[in-house]
Amino acid sequence: MMILVTGGSGSGKSAFAEDCVLACGEKKRVYIATMYPFDQESKKRVLRHREMRAGKGFDTVECYVGLKNTEVPSGCTVLLECMSNLAANEIFREDGAGEKTEDEILMGVEGLKKQAGDLIIVTNEIFSEAASYEGETENYQCVLGNINRRLARMADTVVEVVYGIPVYHKKGEDFCEKPVEQL
Amino acid sequence: MEMMIGGAFQGKADLAEKTYPGIRWVRGEDVTKEELMKAQGVLGFHRFIKKEMKEGRDVKDLAEELIRNNPDVILVSDEVGYGVVPVDTFDRAYREAVGRVCTKLAAGSKKVTRVICGIGTVIKDA
Repeated sequence: MMILVTGGSGSGKSAFAEDCVLACGEKKRVYIATMYPFDQESKKRVLRHREMRAGKGFDTVECYVGLKNTEVPSGCTVLLECMSNLAANEIFREDGAGEKTEDEILMGVEGLKKQAGDLIIVTNEIFSEAASYEGETENYQCVLGNINRRLARMADTVVEVVYGIPVYHKKGEDFCEKPVEQL
Repeated sequence: MEMMIGGAFQGKADLAEKTYPGIRWVRGEDVTKEELMKAQGVLGFHRFIKKEMKEGRDVKDLAEELIRNNPDVILVSDEVGYGVVPVDTFDRAYREAVGRVCTKLAAGSKKVTRVICGIGTVIKDA
């Protein structure tokens, strides 16, 4: 099963996605971390997420670029967070995929989907605001938008988390609606 | 507690006034924290958060305080987290604070309505 979790900034996407992982049962849990801690603010953010995950039995794998090279134990539950960081790394970093970002990332996700039992991907809505961008920022929005659409096609369930409330845009048959309460 | 949320200029205030007639509304940017704790209805709640942060006050516990002190308030707030991460440090912190505070408030609300194009969709009705 594949679940795509999206939403705005600070909306409770991570907490929801972690609940989805726990609801997948007592399988090996792998967290693929994509945020490179380059300054105080991102270090603080990484720390906050680590604290949220503590005690939930995740093995953490760092992947800043090259998702297709990431291997996970067969049949495990994978939480990848966050697609917006991974895409930014691939586009903007020297060792990233540059113009090939979209296809490279999709190849990586397909690989993960084959290896994992359940795959939960967190992405981000960065597409609705008054400010308009040009050049590299607009390109970044375009690439992430394309990635999100392709992931949504692959996923069984697509859920937008609005201030902690799940709003379903696509719902797979075997998806448990209230994952937490079934624990 | 009930919330009405959505993007800017979607008709949240109009719908709120229609949905909750007879409520005395205040505006987020006009009220002190003390007044907020006694308000019946708040329009532009996100602007209260901005004002507090601009004036150097912490909003970390704002949601808990509101739930404790004013559990029947109706809050109308913009969603501000759907864009590219802002370059400005204050804008980033503000955007995240609105998200975190409203997520906690939504958890404490019995009803949350999201407004798009003037149309309200109830996304939580506990």
